[in-house]
Amino acid sequence: MGILIVDDSKDSRDLLKTFLKGAGYKDITTAASAQEAFEALGVNGADHRHKIPFKVILMDGVMPEMNGIEACRVIKADAHLADIPVIMVTAMGEQESLNEAFEAGATDYITKPVKKIELLARVRSVLRLHQEMERRKVREKELIETLKQLSEANRVLTLLSAQDGLTGLANRRHFDENFSAEWRRAMRDRQPLSVVMADIDHFKLYNDHYGHQGGDTCLRQVAAVIGQVARRPGDIAARYGGEEFVLILPDTPLEGGMRIAEEAAAAVRALRLPHEKSSAAPYVTLSMGVACMVPDRSKEMKELIERADRALYAAKRQGRNRVKAAAEE
Amino acid sequence: MGNEERIAVKVDADLKELIPGFLQTRHDDVAAIAAALEKGDWNAVYIMGHSMKGSGGGYGFDEISEIGAVIETAAKAKDAAAVKSGAVRLSDYLGRIDITYV
Repeated sequence: MGILIVDDSKDSRDLLKTFLKGAGYKDITTAASAQEAFEALGVNGADHRHKIPFKVILMDGVMPEMNGIEACRVIKADAHLADIPVIMVTAMGEQESLNEAFEAGATDYITKPVKKIELLARVRSVLRLHQEMERRKVREKELIETLKQLSEANRVLTLLSAQDGLTGLANRRHFDENFSAEWRRAMRDRQPLSVVMADIDHFKLYNDHYGHQGGDTCLRQVAAVIGQVARRPGDIAARYGGEEFVLILPDTPLEGGMRIAEEAAAAVRALRLPHEKSSAAPYVTLSMGVACMVPDRSKEMKELIERADRALYAAKRQGRNRVKAAAEE
Repeated sequence: MGNEERIAVKVDADLKELIPGFLQTRHDDVAAIAAALEKGDWNAVYIMGHSMKGSGGGYGFDEISEIGAVIETAAKAKDAAAVKSGAVRLSDYLGRIDITYV
């Protein structure tokens, strides 16, 4: 609870200090000039930490060299000290300067000769105000910290709610939201939008033979490969259903969609995950259907998915382990 | 001038320790003012007057604040006669006060 008294008159310093001590205040520092006050406060000094944290400054108005108003202005310009309340102590007849003092950032004033009751009342109320402000600053800080944590938690939650728990790819919900956004964007930009549907061949047999844990491992490995193929910004790879995956490829014509689908199919084959029960190959393979549309108002979003789905079934009918483009319709 | 008339002054008990020093400084001021006048150091006179004006009443001596104001004004006007009469008034006052601490 540091109080700093700044006054060039020793009699005034002694008087204020004695009154304040009599009222139980401790840690009272006195300064005989603005310069001494600056030293005590650490104005412009690199090291505020070793200085007494003053709670209030009693500042004489008229002093030789730098006067109290100027000193107040200097203190208020120092970011570390600006919040310390300054009470101007001004002699009768100096009241014209009060406007200037308040403009310089003074909180309150007392007139000289100082009356004990008035001094103590002003100091008490300014200290209470300061304490309340400090408490509020702490609360504001806590609030900001809480908000930060909350928004981080929200970010994580949003991420998690968009993710498929097993594979880490986008989940179905995230896919649905993004597919309609990409559809609208493609319509606006008059750009082709491609969709790739992919199915792990004979996954039911794989699960029956290798167990559910083996099936989950397979899904994860295939998903990782598919996720790496859809790597342009805007591309989305999602788990569509049990062993079904889907890619959204914005600004991509049918040939581009085919190329990416072939790349994914080849990458999965290259994993050489054994699949004894598959009729398509002795290892895990994909059947894929690719469709592309330039969306416009006459077309429906689900039409694109249905076309890719039909191409996928064509790929399966023709023996699996292959990529089929949707027929022009 | 009724020099014999005593003046009762009530002073806050908190200040008991400070009063002898304060009054001694005022006695010294009487001499210091004369010396400063001698040298023509109006600024020193002004500061002493201003300081007296600011602190006197606070210690319970309203008269000292009034005398301080007179000396401050006189110093600003470089009115040696008024400064001297202020100093005399101060000296006279200091000789007649009876203090009770309340």
